[in-house]
Amino acid sequence: MPDTAVPLRPGRRRAGTSRSSSVLIHALLILGAVIMVAPFFWELMTSLKTFAESTAVPPKIFPASPQFANFSEVFAALPFAVQFVNTVIMTVARTAGQVIFCSAAGYAFARLQFPGRGVLFILFLSVLMIPSQLFLLSQYEIMQAFGLLNTVTALALPGIFSAFGTFLMRQFFLQLPPELDEAARIDGANPFQVFWRIMMPLATNGMLALGVLTAIWSWNDLLWPLVVNNAPDKMPLSAGLATLQGQFLTNYPVLMAGSILASVPMIVLFVIFQKNMLEGIASSGIKG
Amino acid sequence: MSSPVTAAEPAAVPPLPRPDLRARRRSSKGLRRGDVIWGYLLIAPTAIGLLGLSIWPAIQTFWFSFTTWGSFGGHTFSGLDNYMQVVKDPELGRSLLNTFIYTGMTLISIPLAIALAALLNRKGLRGVGVYRTLYFLPVVTLPAAISLVWKLLYNGDFGPVNALLGLVGIPGTSWLSNSHTAIYAIGIVSIWSSVGYNMVLFLAGMQSIPAEYYEAASIDGASKFRQFLRITVPLITPTTFFVAVITVINSLQAFDLVYLMVGPTSPALQSAETVVYLFYEKGIIQSQGGYAAAIAFVLLVLILIITLFQFRVQKRWVHYA
Amino acid sequence: MNLQPLTSRRGRKAAVLALAAATSLSIGLSGCSGGSSSSSGGGGGGKATITYGVWDVTQAPVMKQLAAEFHKQNPNITVQVQVTPWDSYWTKLKTSATGGSAPDTFWMNDANFEQYASGGAIKDLQPMVAKSDIKMSNYVQAQAKAYTYKGDVYGIPKDVDSIALWYNKKLFKEAGVKPPTSSWTGDDLIAAAQKLTNTAKGVYGIAAQNTGQQSFYVTIPQEGGYVISPDQTKSGLDSPQAIKGIQYWTDMINKYHVSPTLQAQTDTAPDNMFESGKIAMIYEGSWAAAEFAGVPYTKANADVADLPLLAQPGGVSNGLANVMSAKTQHPDQAWKWLEFLGSKHAADVQAKTGIVIPAYNGTAQEWATESPVSKLYNLQPFADELKVATAYPSSQNTSAWADAIVTELNKAYTGDETAAQAAKNAAAIMNKALAAEKH
Repeated sequence: MPDTAVPLRPGRRRAGTSRSSSVLIHALLILGAVIMVAPFFWELMTSLKTFAESTAVPPKIFPASPQFANFSEVFAALPFAVQFVNTVIMTVARTAGQVIFCSAAGYAFARLQFPGRGVLFILFLSVLMIPSQLFLLSQYEIMQAFGLLNTVTALALPGIFSAFGTFLMRQFFLQLPPELDEAARIDGANPFQVFWRIMMPLATNGMLALGVLTAIWSWNDLLWPLVVNNAPDKMPLSAGLATLQGQFLTNYPVLMAGSILASVPMIVLFVIFQKNMLEGIASSGIKG
Repeated sequence: MSSPVTAAEPAAVPPLPRPDLRARRRSSKGLRRGDVIWGYLLIAPTAIGLLGLSIWPAIQTFWFSFTTWGSFGGHTFSGLDNYMQVVKDPELGRSLLNTFIYTGMTLISIPLAIALAALLNRKGLRGVGVYRTLYFLPVVTLPAAISLVWKLLYNGDFGPVNALLGLVGIPGTSWLSNSHTAIYAIGIVSIWSSVGYNMVLFLAGMQSIPAEYYEAASIDGASKFRQFLRITVPLITPTTFFVAVITVINSLQAFDLVYLMVGPTSPALQSAETVVYLFYEKGIIQSQGGYAAAIAFVLLVLILIITLFQFRVQKRWVHYA
Repeated sequence: MNLQPLTSRRGRKAAVLALAAATSLSIGLSGCSGGSSSSSGGGGGGKATITYGVWDVTQAPVMKQLAAEFHKQNPNITVQVQVTPWDSYWTKLKTSATGGSAPDTFWMNDANFEQYASGGAIKDLQPMVAKSDIKMSNYVQAQAKAYTYKGDVYGIPKDVDSIALWYNKKLFKEAGVKPPTSSWTGDDLIAAAQKLTNTAKGVYGIAAQNTGQQSFYVTIPQEGGYVISPDQTKSGLDSPQAIKGIQYWTDMINKYHVSPTLQAQTDTAPDNMFESGKIAMIYEGSWAAAEFAGVPYTKANADVADLPLLAQPGGVSNGLANVMSAKTQHPDQAWKWLEFLGSKHAADVQAKTGIVIPAYNGTAQEWATESPVSKLYNLQPFADELKVATAYPSSQNTSAWADAIVTELNKAYTGDETAAQAAKNAAAIMNKALAAEKH
């Protein structure tokens, strides 16, 4: 049975909700939403305050006049445009790489018979269980040996290959009816043609799920960039922001301006594509 | 690398692995030639990448854990020294305790997410899309940005958290620098930033429950709350299990928030540092790569034990349809 | 705000420090990118390009100016200044030193020196010094000594810093307290701090910092103790004098309540408190002059006084030196460049910019009276303090204990332990780390 992403619509056939309980529900949900959004609101307000306003006791909510200079301080302290480009390259390379390579491997594991498949698959599974920190020291040495330290290539490289992605895609391919590819095989298509022309188009939900998860994870990744790249113009935004703290101590208006600048691109992307992104995430969790 | 803040990290556990390796028809008469060639070709990129960048590093790190590092290159074999030290190190005990507290707190996001999902899963509720977007925002926000904002909110002097508590007469503190509160303050941030992700998963799980169950229950006169307890909660246990496994694995690898919110000289460091932070401190700040590798292996064993335990007990409470 | 690495030299800023220390990852496999980064010419006295690694962007123009001048005098030698920001300086340096591709000459600081000297990454300059006009007695003594390893000179001191008492003129005036004088004792400071503290307004007399260089690294020698024994084998933190030097600070918080708690200082950086008028006094470095001059409030209201007297004159001075890579292809030309940098002339040029205090004896005076920042603040206390300060506590692997002792002493600052208890534990940790060093 093909398992398509479950649409995120509220259940339709449920008994109606009474007016009073719906008010209560909204009250609860709004309270929760306020807790979720308040930090972002405070971030925005602080980014527009003077240093003195930001340290006022009791705290002032609004700045007397918005201080956009805080944002230019960030641009002066960080090679922001370069770090943004680095982040985009890293995210796109990892996402595209995982979607393509993991789909290919997932399909092979799901549908093709070849010697050593079982052993290889168990090897892949074992990678899933190991905390990624375990790879850190050695991955650093490998990057060093290939002269890749402080390069954007080093940022992206280890994240392109994923045992998780392979597993996820394998599960998606397993759910597709085998009759489809068997028929194509009988018509003389080779496994790659079957994969590329028939299976890939059917697995878009799986690829979407994997793509969204990989993109968010890449954008936010901190430890690896922190370790492998030290030159500011080779860092992604996450690491750049972490170093901003070292420079500005507790000068919050500038730090908040930096935080906003660094996180806004992904948030905008999310707001635009939220339907697809949330469906992708939802379908990654429900069925294996 | 792990990003424990957003549970959205793919490097975790497969969704409900059901090993069906041998379930596929393995035609006993032999292999198709195209299958073999294409099979190898299609897995080659990922297989080579994982062998070179994960499996080999894991083996190498295992070797590191038996060595002592020199300052300008060179590892000397030192047998079990690192492990002997790790076991005796009071810092490891402390960091384990902190990691468990953090994990326990992050697990609170699961019931919260279930409750939120249940509220959102009401028929005809308006603004579901808006709520979902708002709750999900922290997941797509950089951990570094989240940490900086919360550092400001928690500031003991001019932070709004203390100002709000002051309104209701509760005395505040320097939440992140006070050794009695730091790890809990960080745990709250962890809950805040993962509840939206979990909520989306639970919402999807609830929407796959057939409506007939609820209709039958309504006819029997069961209240909404009773339906929630008797139908929703049991039927989403597969999702709950998945989320719990992922949350535990990610939380045991917590690093970002501690690194970003508690500095290396903070008075609260000892009561907030997690195992991975300790690994970073030893391996990266203090040049003790061998010792750090031993810490990483202790963590690996811990994760394996806890995950296996979770899979063991799942039969008792997870209902697969 | 000004944010250059000068401030970071204190090595106290969390993220920066952690990044800088990412150093340690460089290891065995790296022998890939061999060779010096210099280009033409062989080992002799011929034409050569020398690379010079530095970390401070604000000092780069002065360094380039000196390099150009040097090239004029030695047309065969071109010096290429390579700026790597502080964040990545040590990581990159360690990696390249391990791989044999470090710059021919570069900046070194007290905390890292021993590791490079004992690890054979920098050249023993003793034979060259012996044959040249360079006299180590021309430099601030603490620094000349700091860059000596096993009796040999490995680095020519470049510049130094020192600590003095920064205070807020406005807050003193408002509280009716006379500005600090050079005859102030520790008790005078406490008395003034008590008058200046106004908890209702959130104002404290002083910030009792726990960052080493701005606190107990200063007061321990002033009480007659030491942080690390001169032979670098033993911690001195548990001596009665050292405990007094530590208690000086912990009492400000726990006994006199004239300082924000350590937790509050962790939440809000003491420099930022000083810059927003929330503390009236702070022990801060000469490097902070540029930082405070960049903030309107402290530009108008801050000034500098001598450190209060404790048992004896003393203090701490961190400094940096110019060193030569052990693997340089052009040792003769590189030495000429180091010789030039070690001259009084080079020191004079740097003093006039006001960014750093040169390590050459006497030039500190020029910095204190002729540089642009000296028009804003009384910088004499820093120059005077240099004459009595001891070198920054360091050993072969300073990073193995530097943060750890702060973590232990934190417990005395927060009042969870007495100064004596915390000092004893810190000394034990430090002794263990020192014992692990291979001398």
